[in-house]
Amino acid sequence: MAQSNLMGDLERQGVSRREFLAFCASMAAILGMPKAASAAIANAVENEKRPILVWLEFQDCAGNTESFLRSGHPTVAQLLLDTISLNYHETLMAAAGHQAEAALEDTVAKHKGEYVALVEGSIPGDIAGGFCTIGGRSALDIAREVCGGAAATVAVGTCATFGGLPAARPNPTRALSVADAVPGVRNLINMSACPANAENIAALIVYYLTIKRWPPLDQYRRPLFAYGTVIHDACERRAHFDAGQFVEEWGDQAHRHGYCLYKMGCKGPATSQNCPNVQWNGHTNWPVGCGAPCIGCAEPNFWDVMTPFYERLPNVEGINSSKWLDPVGLSLTGIVAAGAVAHGVGETVRYRRGHRPSADEKARADGKEQGKDASDHEEKRK
Amino acid sequence: MNAVPAAQPVPVVLEPVYVWELPVRLVHWLLFLSIVVLSATGYYIGNPFFSGPLVMARVREVHLYTSIVFTLCVFVRGYWAFAGNRYARWSELIPVSARRLRSLWKSALFYTFLRREPVDYPGHNGLAGLTYAMIFAVYFVMIATGLALYQVYAPVGSPLRVFAFLIPLFGGLQIARLFHAVGMWIILIFMVLHLYFVVLYSAIEREGIFDSMLSGFKFLPRKTADKP
Repeated sequence: MAQSNLMGDLERQGVSRREFLAFCASMAAILGMPKAASAAIANAVENEKRPILVWLEFQDCAGNTESFLRSGHPTVAQLLLDTISLNYHETLMAAAGHQAEAALEDTVAKHKGEYVALVEGSIPGDIAGGFCTIGGRSALDIAREVCGGAAATVAVGTCATFGGLPAARPNPTRALSVADAVPGVRNLINMSACPANAENIAALIVYYLTIKRWPPLDQYRRPLFAYGTVIHDACERRAHFDAGQFVEEWGDQAHRHGYCLYKMGCKGPATSQNCPNVQWNGHTNWPVGCGAPCIGCAEPNFWDVMTPFYERLPNVEGINSSKWLDPVGLSLTGIVAAGAVAHGVGETVRYRRGHRPSADEKARADGKEQGKDASDHEEKRK
Repeated sequence: MNAVPAAQPVPVVLEPVYVWELPVRLVHWLLFLSIVVLSATGYYIGNPFFSGPLVMARVREVHLYTSIVFTLCVFVRGYWAFAGNRYARWSELIPVSARRLRSLWKSALFYTFLRREPVDYPGHNGLAGLTYAMIFAVYFVMIATGLALYQVYAPVGSPLRVFAFLIPLFGGLQIARLFHAVGMWIILIFMVLHLYFVVLYSAIEREGIFDSMLSGFKFLPRKTADKP
């Protein structure tokens, strides 16, 4: 466990105590804790032994790293992960080549069962993992070793969580999520979204430092504090939805007024994350806030099931269901109604011509000739 | 023509047969009403075409409360398929016995003009029974997709959240949404067909089946009543 003087490090980087406490208060808010909890958080962040972290990158775009570098309180959050206890991070570490690999081997060997592995990117399963190798070893191999020996594994971003873009149809590398690549991995926590929100990752670490447990998870092993609410329910444009006020096309008057993007294919009603509250890039804004519909990036297989991003319903065999479902449904109903009328005409004609006995005629016949059943009538008529 | 004497009125021997028990009739009409309301509100939720103060909120509210009525009806009818009389049994809907399969074949021939005699049976004919079984399968899909779509709005810890397990079964909420929208049209097409056959049997065959869903009684000529 790494030990250091956090406040000293922060002051050297120009972060005042006041800013540090503001960070702790915002963490408490994200975690849904009362205001008083920020003192406990400050105490824990300052004094608790921080877990050693290793950050693995596989089939990814480094977007989660980029997002993390732009977190709302970059210095504090980076210090939490980076200068203090981040033993391995391909994008951020100064070491390269054998030196870098040695740092990873060292951590895995010396701190087995203690460190926390953060995984970014999916893990290719085809050709024995050969689609992604680092230092001559396949991603699958590295993930199984590093995550297998970790106290907990945090899958950061949708690629590591659900396979993401590399796993989108037709999934040429047979990309796997961490859960699939390392079966039975201990304390897996999925931080989905593309990229994962840096505030939420920081909050996850802070939660662990303060409560000494990992937070409660949903059915996809995502922390409920970040993924417990559907975006639609916390959306700032919800009032427009409830009033039936919708953007009909890009740049129309409704779009300029900031109306609801539901008809433009917003996936907020199908996506759970705390974007509307936490927002992005230091609470600057978030997609729906700047007029772009949610694309559902935090949900499993979102490239396959949330597309087309700007249509309300998924396509069926390339056909735009949002556009065609209702016209087709209405036409089919009409065709069936017309067919029913035609059938009715046919029945009437048949009835008039054939004088097929109706129920009461049959009854009359029955009343006259007791003991005869229906099939006899047919013969009699001929 | 020669079998039916036109001149002299003959006493009609029609027997009342109690076919549709109260739960069946009640469920029938509540399903009808709830489907009308659910389709109208569901269409608006899918294609909101006008706006007004809280109009979407109110429409969704009506849709959600009506869906409770719909779901309870489907489950009561499902229970009655095991507790009800012989005409309400599950075996009337899912043809497994030789008798029901024969009835299915005969009614299919009748509806395609290949058979002249309608299938005389107090309950559902074979084809109708199978159609209702399939439409109940659609109802179950509608309930499952509806619950999957609804549970995301339940607060964390709410018992409704247990239905989150349905999402992966459909491959995602958006796919569930698509099924939910397609299901409405399947049910509406069924309703058109159902209405037509009621008109056919009431007006042309004069079997009074519309009235039977109100009173529970069908009036059937003696002797033919139990022939499949």
